[in-house]
Amino acid sequence: MRAGTLPSTAYDDMPYTRGGTVDRAEVGALVQSAVDGDAAAWKALVEGLSPLVWSVVRSHRLSDADGHEVYQTVWLRFSQHLRRIREPEKAGSWLASTARNECLKVIKSLRRLMPTDDPQLLDRVSEERTPEQSLIDAEEAASDAERIRRLWQEFEELGDRCRQLLRVLMASPPPSYQEVSAGLGIAVGSIGPMRQRCLRRLRARLDALGAL
Amino acid sequence: MHDDGLDAFDAFGQDPLNEEEFAEQEGELDDGAGEFEDGLLEEELRQAAAILDPVPAELLQFAMDAYALYDLDARLAELTFDSLVDAIPIRGVTDAPRMLTFTAGELSIDVEVTSEGLMGQVMPPQPAGIEVLGGPQVLHPTTLTADAMGRFTSAAPPTGPFALRLRAGGEVVVTEWLRA
Repeated sequence: MRAGTLPSTAYDDMPYTRGGTVDRAEVGALVQSAVDGDAAAWKALVEGLSPLVWSVVRSHRLSDADGHEVYQTVWLRFSQHLRRIREPEKAGSWLASTARNECLKVIKSLRRLMPTDDPQLLDRVSEERTPEQSLIDAEEAASDAERIRRLWQEFEELGDRCRQLLRVLMASPPPSYQEVSAGLGIAVGSIGPMRQRCLRRLRARLDALGAL
Repeated sequence: MHDDGLDAFDAFGQDPLNEEEFAEQEGELDDGAGEFEDGLLEEELRQAAAILDPVPAELLQFAMDAYALYDLDARLAELTFDSLVDAIPIRGVTDAPRMLTFTAGELSIDVEVTSEGLMGQVMPPQPAGIEVLGGPQVLHPTTLTADAMGRFTSAAPPTGPFALRLRAGGEVVVTEWLRA
C-alpha cells in the first residue's frame, strides 16, 4: 500500500518515481541478495512484485489455465536470469515486460490454432473465480461488498484499453509508470493522460449509478 | 486489436487520443481536485482487486519455490528462434509444430514441439544426457538421451512451462524456461 499522501498532480512531473517508491528502491538490493543466496530476499521480491506480474497477466484476459502458466513461466525465467539482469533496480519492468511478451505469445498461438479469427477468444474471462464467489469469501460488510462489486462491474465494462491500463495500475504496491509501460507496451508519457481519462470515465459511470 | 502479429499490440497507445475510446473531449483535464479524486478512485480499485482478483495462493507459492531452481552451475542457452514469433505462418496450416532454437555460445539446441511429443537436435552433433524440467513441483524430471548424432526424442509433449537441462562435453547447459 502507498504510505502517506495520495498522488497529486506531481504525477506528470515524476512519472518514473510514482508510487511504491520505498519498496521499489529496495528492489535492486533484493535482487543482489537473492543472487548471493538469500532466500528471504527472493521471498520479498515475490511478495512485492507478484501483484504486478499478475495484473499484467490479467490485463491480457487469458484463460485461467493460460494465465497461470504465463505467471509461472515469468517467475521461472526471472530465477534463471537473476544474475544476468543488467539493471537489477528495474526488475519490476523486466518482469512486466516478460509477462507481456508471454501473454502475446499465448494470444498469437490461440489465433493460429483457430481458423476463425474469433474475437471471443481474446475476451475469455476467468471461469473459476467469479467476483460473486470471491465476495462471499471476503469478510466485508455487506454495503462495502456491494460498493466494491459495483465498482468492479463498472470497471469490467470499460473499453478494452481503459480496462487493461487500470488493471495494471491497480497492482499493489502501485507500479511505476516504467513498469506499466513495460507491461503494456505504452509510451510512459501517454500513461498519465490515459489514466486520467480512464479514471474519470469510470467515475462518470459510477456517478450515473449513484453508487459512490 | 485483431490484426495478425505482435506488432498490432506494439502499436498499443502510440496514438491513444485518436482512438475511438479517447475521441471525445471531457472538459477540464487538469485540476488539483480532480487529480486527488482520481487517486482515491485508483486506490479503491486497488482494494477491489486485492479482494476480487488477488494473486492465487498456489501461484504465489510456485514463485517462492522457483528460487530452488536457481542453477549456479549451468550455462544459460537463450531462446534465439521461436516459430511463434519469428516464422511467417502458412495460411491454412493450423497445427504447425512449434520450432525453437536455444543458443549458448557455439552450442545450439533445436527443439520441435508437437502434440505427439518433442524432437530435438544438439549442434554440433554430440551425445548428451537431457532432463526435461517441469517446474519446482516436478520432482522427477523426464530424462532423455541424445545419440551420437545429437538427436533426441520424447513421446510426451511438455505440459506447462519447461526447460531442458543438458550434460554434454563436461558442461551443463540449461535452456530458458518456456511455455510450449
